[in-house]
Amino acid sequence: MNFRIRLDSKQQKDFLIDRISGIDIFNKPMQPPKQMIAVKQALYALVLSLTLFIFSHADAVTTIEFWQFWTDAEIKPVITEIVNDFEKQNPAIDVNVTDLTWANGHEKIVIALASKSGPDVLELGSDWVAQFADAGHLADITASTASDSAQFRGWGLSTYNSKIYGWPWILGTRVLFTNRDLITKAGFDSVYHPINFTELKKAVYKVDSLGKSIYGWGSNTAEKHRLYKKFLPFFWSYGARLFSDDGKYCLIASDYAVDALKLYKELHDSCGYVADQRGIEDAFLDGKIGFIISGDWLLKRIEQEERKINFATTLIPGTKFPGKSFLGGEILCVNNASEKKEAALKFIKFISVPENQLKFCKANRSSTPSNKQSQKNEYFTSNPHFLTFDKQIQLAIHPPVDPDWVQMEDIIERAVEEALFGKDDLVAEPLRTARRKIEALKNK
Amino acid sequence: MNRSLTKVLGFALPWSLTFLFVWLFPLVYALVMGFTDYNLLRPDEAKWVGFQNYSTLLADPDFINAIKNTFIFVLGTIPATTIMALIMALLVNRSFKGRGLFRSAYFLPSITSLVVISLIFTNLYQRGGYIAQLASMIGITVPEYGFLYDNATALYSIMAMDVWMSVGYYMLIFLAGLKSIPDELYEVAEISGVGYFRKLFSITLPLLKPVALFILVINTIKSFQVFVEIFVMSKGKFDTMTMVYFIYEKGFTTTLQSGYASAAAYILFIIIAVFSIIQFFLLRRKEPLW
Repeated sequence: MNFRIRLDSKQQKDFLIDRISGIDIFNKPMQPPKQMIAVKQALYALVLSLTLFIFSHADAVTTIEFWQFWTDAEIKPVITEIVNDFEKQNPAIDVNVTDLTWANGHEKIVIALASKSGPDVLELGSDWVAQFADAGHLADITASTASDSAQFRGWGLSTYNSKIYGWPWILGTRVLFTNRDLITKAGFDSVYHPINFTELKKAVYKVDSLGKSIYGWGSNTAEKHRLYKKFLPFFWSYGARLFSDDGKYCLIASDYAVDALKLYKELHDSCGYVADQRGIEDAFLDGKIGFIISGDWLLKRIEQEERKINFATTLIPGTKFPGKSFLGGEILCVNNASEKKEAALKFIKFISVPENQLKFCKANRSSTPSNKQSQKNEYFTSNPHFLTFDKQIQLAIHPPVDPDWVQMEDIIERAVEEALFGKDDLVAEPLRTARRKIEALKNK
Repeated sequence: MNRSLTKVLGFALPWSLTFLFVWLFPLVYALVMGFTDYNLLRPDEAKWVGFQNYSTLLADPDFINAIKNTFIFVLGTIPATTIMALIMALLVNRSFKGRGLFRSAYFLPSITSLVVISLIFTNLYQRGGYIAQLASMIGITVPEYGFLYDNATALYSIMAMDVWMSVGYYMLIFLAGLKSIPDELYEVAEISGVGYFRKLFSITLPLLKPVALFILVINTIKSFQVFVEIFVMSKGKFDTMTMVYFIYEKGFTTTLQSGYASAAAYILFIIIAVFSIIQFFLLRRKEPLW
């Protein structure tokens, strides 16, 4: 590069030539200092090598995006540890983890998938799988599950139109929690547990009669996505079904269903401590409620908060012992728009190996991993409460894997709300309204 | 193009681009979407359905209920907020010891996060909460399961919280209006031997008319768009579904029917526009409003 100095007048030039001992620098290009040239060359070399490194690295490393819902201070480090272990074993794959919340995670996933972007691997609640699969946003992983299917349970949660769209990760169900001290005060043996609805009703009434601030039953208020999970165990345990075998007819207003809602309403109206799930659990842990239906997260809370409550977990009663409960779970899915499906599946399989499921369950006090091998670990078999959950999960039913399930769930919840909180003391009519709405939805 | 015009366009460009792409484009896009069966998960399958979304909406009992609840909210909160803000502004405009403290205290809820306030009030309203205990102490019957779990009280409880939260903000605007009234008018009135209420009705209130109407307009728009309180406190349950919550639920949670939700949003837009036009008309009136 040439450096020249431009001066406008001859006088200026002459003046400067004179000042620098007669050397005419104006007609000779100035050379930059040697050090500057060396620095420049080094910079060029650095940029070139960096570019080469980036391009070569980009070819070698695949980065997959993983969206998940576990942000708890105890669980997140375990997720990070599992991801780090995976990256160590698979140096060609990097995993970026993004945390979602249950409050708005669904909306974020919907928007991401709608824009044909989104993560490669995503954790979905089992109720959402059909909705996304039906719209073509989830990859069909049926072929990849063939060799592993026998080792896992919960495939029904992610099977839609005979194809598998997600890998069951952690399963969940609800059991009956009993306050032993209260049932003893009510005249029962401390190990007593109701084996059918008649016995449950009797025990609930007896506990409820212990005092003004003691309640027999914990009853959910009109809480979205939760109320139906409490009603459906009654519904199924009475032998009611949502649809006929061929799926053509909605049976939600059958006599069995009406009986189930009658009992649910009676417990609610006569002996119910009515609050949201958290409120019910608070009252149960404070020793105010005899019986509640809850999940294994309550075991974690009791342990973390060092509660001194004397409680038992038993199977949900039925008309004949034992009853049915609700089955749901966390499903790991692959985005159909992902270009890294192979790496995504590899990661999902790694998360689901027995050791990693065990790590996760220990951190979260989850009782029911999807991996059958993992479930055999002493951590699960030595805990009587976990054993209850394990038994209950074998007697649990999952809602239909249907793209319209989220709407159906809303319709069912409205019917139960109407029965519990409506002006009219009706049970059958809200269920008939629900049937009409569900049939209209299916025939649209 | 001369240089001054280039400069003008240059200065206007950032705002114009923002207006075009952030405001106008979504507005027009939503309008078009309202005439389709656009589903968020199936954008490629959207079909033109004409006015079907609008006719379905007007026959949808949930939407009609949401309109009813929104009007109850608007018509219930605006007069209460405006009158209370005016009274409080008149009170803190007087000179007394600790006036600054009162002004700050009343304004404090306005600078607190709405989500935080909603969570606090959710606790206050629950069964056995402070409000239920206070009400019981003075012999008022409280809902058995808590104020937010009863069809008869849930919406009104949220409205009461909204009034409590907003009143300080509008008080400050009224206070600014009061400060702009020339002292000479009051001095003349005092020399003429006019009493407090005469001064209030003949000087203060007529001169506060533009401020009051400004408050009415912005409060109406804000109240029609009530969402956060409902989202945090009731999720639209117990007869608290409002129009914006309905739009959110249809568009983003249960059915993902963005076309349907967009049509509902345009009905809300028309309602707000009509109210705003009426209020602007009142604002331009020359003759006294009261």
